[in-house]
Amino acid sequence: MTMLTEMTTLDVLEAEAVHVIRECAAECERPVLLFSGGKDSIVLAHLAIKAFAPAGLPFPLMHVDTGHNFPEVIEYRDRFATDVDERLIVAKVQDSIDQGRVQDETGLHASRNRLQTTTLLDAIAEHRFDACFGGARRDEERSRAKERFFSHRDAFGQWDPRNQRPEPWTIYNTKLRNGEHFRVFPLSNWTEIDIWSYIEREGLELPSIYFAHEREVFLRAGMLLAAVEEIERLPHEKVFTETVRFRTVGDMTCTGSIASTAATVAAVIEETRNSDVSERGASRADDKTSEAAMEDRKRNGYF
Amino acid sequence: MPVETPKLHVVAVGSVDDGKSTLIGRLLYETGHLRGDEIEAVEEASRKRGRKGIDLALLTDGLRAEREQGITIDVAYRSFDANGRRILLGDAPGHVQYTRNMVTAAAGADAAILLVDAKNGTTAQTRRHLAICGMLGVRDVIACVNKIDLVDYDEARFIEIADELVASAAQIDGPRITAIPLSALNGVNLTEHSPETPWYDGPTVLEVLHDLDPPVIETAFRMPVQWVIRHDEGTHDIRGLAGRIDSGAVTVGDEIVALPSGATSRIARIDVLGDERESASAPLSVTLHLEDDIDVSRGDVIALAAEPPLVATRIRATVAWLDEQPLTIPARLEARQSTRTVPVIVEELHERLELDTMEHVPTDVLEANDLGVVSILAAQPLVLETYADNRALGSLMLIDPATNRSVAAVMVSNVLAG
Repeated sequence: MTMLTEMTTLDVLEAEAVHVIRECAAECERPVLLFSGGKDSIVLAHLAIKAFAPAGLPFPLMHVDTGHNFPEVIEYRDRFATDVDERLIVAKVQDSIDQGRVQDETGLHASRNRLQTTTLLDAIAEHRFDACFGGARRDEERSRAKERFFSHRDAFGQWDPRNQRPEPWTIYNTKLRNGEHFRVFPLSNWTEIDIWSYIEREGLELPSIYFAHEREVFLRAGMLLAAVEEIERLPHEKVFTETVRFRTVGDMTCTGSIASTAATVAAVIEETRNSDVSERGASRADDKTSEAAMEDRKRNGYF
Repeated sequence: MPVETPKLHVVAVGSVDDGKSTLIGRLLYETGHLRGDEIEAVEEASRKRGRKGIDLALLTDGLRAEREQGITIDVAYRSFDANGRRILLGDAPGHVQYTRNMVTAAAGADAAILLVDAKNGTTAQTRRHLAICGMLGVRDVIACVNKIDLVDYDEARFIEIADELVASAAQIDGPRITAIPLSALNGVNLTEHSPETPWYDGPTVLEVLHDLDPPVIETAFRMPVQWVIRHDEGTHDIRGLAGRIDSGAVTVGDEIVALPSGATSRIARIDVLGDERESASAPLSVTLHLEDDIDVSRGDVIALAAEPPLVATRIRATVAWLDEQPLTIPARLEARQSTRTVPVIVEELHERLELDTMEHVPTDVLEANDLGVVSILAAQPLVLETYADNRALGSLMLIDPATNRSVAAVMVSNVLAG
């Protein structure tokens, strides 16, 4: 047993996140935790497991699988669910395409990133989920900085950023009408460095692509994209081998890697501290289309 | 004994166009909190709007409608590390119409940066924000007399506005005021002392942020039960009371009382998210195990038996009314307090704060964004304290069950008998 010890910023952030997770579990009928196998959702799932231990999670995990995910991440996802012995639902974008709900994009910038929204909203309706935990952080992107902990979505899955519910103190209005749901963001106040520091402190395992490895890549718009058959390349986009790692994990078609030799969590923390590029700037092609790209996707029901 | 929390919450408030977003953008920029690509994105956005140079307000105005109109609609949060502490900076909207978002940003804040335009002076909205900060118990207000360059760095003008603010704060028994002559746009007295204001020898905004007192955490132990963890561990059934410690500290062996039932027991075990400890304090999330199997469920509050909070159904309270639909009495609403939701009736409406004079006047209606004093009757007993004694147990949110809208933020000023 330990005596009262001095608290760190991570202790306070951890307590805040667990408070939000427990509130949502208690107030909502059918929550689900969106689990992509990315570092933020791994931290979120770890916190949720801690929040209810030694009992199991009172809600399932769900992954929206574009079919274009990195195989290392899919392998990690399945192993994680087995190890923690929790239920994992996989909602497939391919199924939405096969059912004619969405159309696969073609061409140079084809990506299934946008298509995920339909698959997600269909899965929410099918399972009658009324709250989706997400690992989004306010420091990621400026429209994210505007999110509440409990972010209301109407029956169409839309976010109305001009009319968000007041959220004074830590009191959350968890009232919903039929068909509406919440996106709940327990990691709102964490930064990228906080996530990595917590991964180090808790000794969490991550998919291997977060650490330096050799990979065939090509350069587009200042980003090193994986040379895979899912992405069409122009003749001048030459493939070469580079030692890289990924700062975020998303759909292969829009997630760039960075040249890096950081092979351990400590090295990643050091590198992140000294980086002059933000996480999204380094790795997300989808935000470069317009300055309100994220807000527009979110309004329509994106993560 | 509670320990210092390494996290502060600071909110920027004031009238529209007084420069809040510019101040926050500039502060993050000058302290190295912005990365290269974030600066480039703001430069690009500035060019698109025909601005000369970089408009740092575009950094936190993250919504399309905000950038189109050049205003802040909802609060944006940015993390900021200063002097070894984490500061959560909230950029609150200035428009009267978005006061509900300002209340969201200021509730729970330890300090506020209040901006006033040196040319326009204090407005009703400045006083509204000052009054809301006072009601919410924000201890420190860093009053920035902004755009001081536009009044030629005039010391007399600065003193005039600073005196007005101190006088307004005194009328409502409001927060401590530190006034600073500032130009957020040019970085005057923001992170460095400026030669343009040789007559000012007080601190810069950054210096005040560095020296802020740690958050006040009340000393009496209170933990609302969020969730009961049940787990069958071989021979016996485990029942853990999961919640976050709102205030104070608890130690194994302490005699506790569960309210409103009044059942007592002792702490057998304290589990801090998998780490078994002898004691734990606010604001940690924990799971408590009791020696006896008493009836406790979500909505109950665990306190030390020696210093329990009150149990009551009737309160007098100050309210910030946030809904477009005005408050008239009697109003049948729902109150969310701690981990409980109960039907309530707002029975009486005593007074409203007149912002021009900062005087309380009798009224029979509260319009959107008004501040007033009411009496509320709850359908079931609540575990309560005054807001001054305990922020967590002394705060409520009112919800209109017909619309599901959050209509008021409420702070308990008196817990009444009956």
